[in-house]
Amino acid sequence: MIQKILEERVYSLGILLVITALITSAVFPGTFPTFENFSQILLNLSIDTIVAVGMMLLLISGAFDLSVGSIVAFTGCLTAYLMHFFNIPVPIALAAGLASAFLIGWVNGYLIAYQNINPMIQTLAMMGIVRGCALLVSGSGIQNLPYWFNAIGQSKLLGVQMPIWYMLATVFAFTFLFNKTIFFRRYYYIGGNEKAADLSGIQVKKMKMTGFIITAVLAGFAGILLSSRLGAALPTMGRGLELRVITAVILGGATLSGGFGKIPGALLGALFMGLISNIMVIARVSGYWQDIILGLILIGTLWVDKYLQKEYAGVV
Amino acid sequence: MASLLLDDISKQFPGVKALSNVSMEIQAGEIHALCGENGAGKSTLMNILSGNLQPDGGRILLNDKEVLLHNPQEAFENGIAIVYQHLSLVDSLSVAENIFANLQPRNRYGIIQFNTLYEKTNALLRKLKLFDINPRTLVAKLSPAEKQMVEIAKALSKDPSILILDEPTASLTDRETKTLFEIIQTLKTNGVSIIYISHRLNEIFLLSDRVSILKDGQYQGTFDSKGLTKETLINKMVGRELKILKTSSSKNDKVLLEVKNISGAKFKDISLVVHQGEIVGLAGLMGAGRTEIARAVFGMDEIKSGEVRLRNKPFHPRHPAAAIRDGVGYVTEERKNLGLFPGMSIQDNVVAAGLNRIMPSGYYNTEKVKQLATTAKEKLGVVSYTLKQPVINLSGGNQQKVMLAKWLLTNPDVLIVDEPTHGIDVGAKSEIYQILKSLAEEGKGILIISSELPELIGLCDKIIVIKNGKVAGELSGDKKTEEQIIKLAT
Amino acid sequence: MNEKQRYIEMLVRRIFIGAIIVLFGSCELPPRNENITRHDLGTDFDSVDIVNEEYVMITTAVTMPMYVNHDQAAFKRWGKKMNVKVSILGPADWDVPAQINTIEEVIGTHPTGLLINGTDPAIAQVINKAVAAGIPTVVYDSDIPNSKRHAFLGTDWYEIGKMQGEEMVKLIAGKGKVAYMGILGLTNMEQGFLGLLDVLKKYPEIEVVGKYDDKANVEEAARITSDILAAHPDIAGICGFDSNSGPGIALAVREAGKTGKIKITTVDWEPEHLQLLKDGVIQMLAGQKRELFTWYGAQFLYDMVHRTNPLAQNDAKAGITSVPYIINTGLLKITPENVDQFIKR
Repeated sequence: MIQKILEERVYSLGILLVITALITSAVFPGTFPTFENFSQILLNLSIDTIVAVGMMLLLISGAFDLSVGSIVAFTGCLTAYLMHFFNIPVPIALAAGLASAFLIGWVNGYLIAYQNINPMIQTLAMMGIVRGCALLVSGSGIQNLPYWFNAIGQSKLLGVQMPIWYMLATVFAFTFLFNKTIFFRRYYYIGGNEKAADLSGIQVKKMKMTGFIITAVLAGFAGILLSSRLGAALPTMGRGLELRVITAVILGGATLSGGFGKIPGALLGALFMGLISNIMVIARVSGYWQDIILGLILIGTLWVDKYLQKEYAGVV
Repeated sequence: MASLLLDDISKQFPGVKALSNVSMEIQAGEIHALCGENGAGKSTLMNILSGNLQPDGGRILLNDKEVLLHNPQEAFENGIAIVYQHLSLVDSLSVAENIFANLQPRNRYGIIQFNTLYEKTNALLRKLKLFDINPRTLVAKLSPAEKQMVEIAKALSKDPSILILDEPTASLTDRETKTLFEIIQTLKTNGVSIIYISHRLNEIFLLSDRVSILKDGQYQGTFDSKGLTKETLINKMVGRELKILKTSSSKNDKVLLEVKNISGAKFKDISLVVHQGEIVGLAGLMGAGRTEIARAVFGMDEIKSGEVRLRNKPFHPRHPAAAIRDGVGYVTEERKNLGLFPGMSIQDNVVAAGLNRIMPSGYYNTEKVKQLATTAKEKLGVVSYTLKQPVINLSGGNQQKVMLAKWLLTNPDVLIVDEPTHGIDVGAKSEIYQILKSLAEEGKGILIISSELPELIGLCDKIIVIKNGKVAGELSGDKKTEEQIIKLAT
Repeated sequence: MNEKQRYIEMLVRRIFIGAIIVLFGSCELPPRNENITRHDLGTDFDSVDIVNEEYVMITTAVTMPMYVNHDQAAFKRWGKKMNVKVSILGPADWDVPAQINTIEEVIGTHPTGLLINGTDPAIAQVINKAVAAGIPTVVYDSDIPNSKRHAFLGTDWYEIGKMQGEEMVKLIAGKGKVAYMGILGLTNMEQGFLGLLDVLKKYPEIEVVGKYDDKANVEEAARITSDILAAHPDIAGICGFDSNSGPGIALAVREAGKTGKIKITTVDWEPEHLQLLKDGVIQMLAGQKRELFTWYGAQFLYDMVHRTNPLAQNDAKAGITSVPYIINTGLLKITPENVDQFIKR
């Protein structure tokens, strides 16, 4: 029983989260365990988690995308630009924003899957290109966005901010898709052994391209949501988000070589990182330490995991 | 001058006993050939000698002193050098840097002295009569034969007293082979002991002083090349206890797969027919183009000209997905690399190719998957604790059965099977044969690619021998003998 | 039986759809943007905790040396002198959304006062949230005009650009080619660019050859500069707008052997900048009095909660704050004449 829990990252991380939260509650009873603080943690990680779901998909298939942070910035800026300078109605601007993300994902996917360009190099290049485009479109940022656009990210439902609902909906939807549809299960096969998947009749190229498109569109959605929540589109949005998200997803049980990982792991990984950063804010630990501590936790988790795997390898 | 004694060497891999109690002696200054079929244990033995693998039991004595070879470095320090069958060169570096990999001449600050390096390389190449190769050329720009020669030069750069050559002529032309033989003879006169591994029996008789034979990991004896006939040698190599039941053919007249004059990158003008209930074998040396033909028919590689017909309709799948839909399956060679999803469960592996057929609605039904996997597991006799066990932990035979199960769930009419018994134990082999037989009896057409001649002869209704990408002959009935196949293939 | 099942199914479906409609009906929209009046600015600080007094400064790029050596050092010094707890928080990189997240999380812990680096207009909302939560909030460096912050201390970036422009005009005698660089896409820097251009465009003999993004990176600034030198061998002057522009430009100009021939004006007065000015590579530095931002900013917070200078019987009820509304700390103009005064020994 214990073995099972330790082997499945979703459970072990879940338990770690609960323990961390309980300890923190005991140390900071006045400020940590409050509804406001918890909903603030969730709100703050909602954008990252939506992107992390896409990244989890890619890592399951054995690839990753470094351009997601830039896509977040670009789609947010493009949508804002269209609304602010051309008075384009909100729904059409949203569609245009998502379409631009789709296009970026398509270019990434096409070049990686069909032209065999290395995903890291392709998305690294795209990261620069798209960030540049975001700067071109928005200059120093666009303020005063339409009320109904801001309402997307600033409304509340049952006292909980909308981005949290969007995040939960995304996680639930993709968990369902990955458990229940053949289409998404194929990503496990591609990550498990790409050549074998191709020879087993899985159209690996098409699937890979689709994966990059889905990831880009999720990042685009996250970008729109972020600028709606901020009430502004900044070209600097999503800086460093790609690495943060990859860290969260790996904490959540994915591997860089592919074939492993579960969608809820993306949420838990992001939740863990959000929790740590919240604890550091509450404990007033300076920002210098944040990256150091997160890095140590990541290495620690993976190292403990390797150790446990060795320990239990014989007794499956 | 060095002599080498192998004493009671054993090596066990998961599911296979690769070497059992092999003892043999290599005398100083002799050319000692090592023979055996694929999977006989030659490569394992050589990997033990070169320090890549450690034996489970037994001793290696070099000049009557026991040596322990924990890694290639130690083997090299003991004067043992190996020329690998699979090239070990780095394409992006120059010939000189490949030959003196990690041994480049350096000055006292650790800076590589390239001029000395090139001079040394030049001297070495000249000694090997390789006047055409420039030390500065990138290896990527060399022909396969030149690469092979560079590989040999690399081994010789270490001044070994024992040199192991593993299929060195596989990619060489006749002229280059001749040069190589001259070099080997020179080395011999200089007192270097040479272990020579080759499938080409002619070369063995031409070159070697003595021959040792391995079969299924067991030592069969060492013989003087002079007193040995080709027939005896083949007999010693292939004669085995494993009997394949020669049941009656289940073939009928209905043509399932018809390949007409197809040509592709590695094969030319191939024609063959597979009938319902028929088992057709594709024989040939490694690299003859058999796998390439299968891949092309299956839609993985391009067919440049010619026609393939399935159930008398044109069949040119653009991707395996289309081939599977039309009822063709392909159990690939290289299980771990091409066939299995190593980290995934038996259950996931079994349904991998049949997802669309099993669950046409597109919804993944865990219960159904479990049930199908259980049935398949029982039917094929896969031994495991649970269906959730990752296939990487299974033995070779069980892995092979999982692959077969995967393809049976696509319900193919024609099943191509590539090296189905490579590296699995004798018991599992006969189980695989039973499965293939019963599939043919169910009316499926089966095309087997195999380097194990007895299994081709035992299973197949007819055998097509491929040589250098072309059909070299077709054998059926009484003509299906190992001697005939080897004659056509080499 | 079948009939009944179907009926139940239908019922469930209707209830489900109904629930969703009710759910969306209960969706709570954000408040419409109202115009800020002076009246909103008086905040009742009765709830502020002055027993466990703690002042929190929240910036972005918390590890940037300039922030550490000036803003943060002065803030810490102030805390020591006043004997109150001070904390510095924020993301290590330039990440405005992360700064906003940090502020949101800090609001929940009810600090005595908030000192916020005005990195981007987008932080207006969260500042308003802090003010609404009854926390005294002071913004420094760049103002957030659409917010209800209680006070602002900083520099007018337009003035930084203008000062550079005027000095450059003097240095190149009103004619020649000029290029400038900084971090593109930051509001305050764009203001600075505007100030520079407004001066330069008055001189028809000055040609502005380009605006470049050095991404706050010394190597990038040096690379851009050598490209400029190659494309325009007759370039007369280059202006820099972020902390790393100056050292980068200086490096490339020095390597090209054009020290002193190409005039450089830039911002900030880190030891490196001062040395380059002393060496004659840079001709002028437009410096900010960053220490004053955070020192007096913290002091304003303190004075608000301690009601040091009450102006009315009850400032909050009167709808006023008892600290200055906007403070411009002014600029330092550092030239070869006064540079020695700034070099620390």
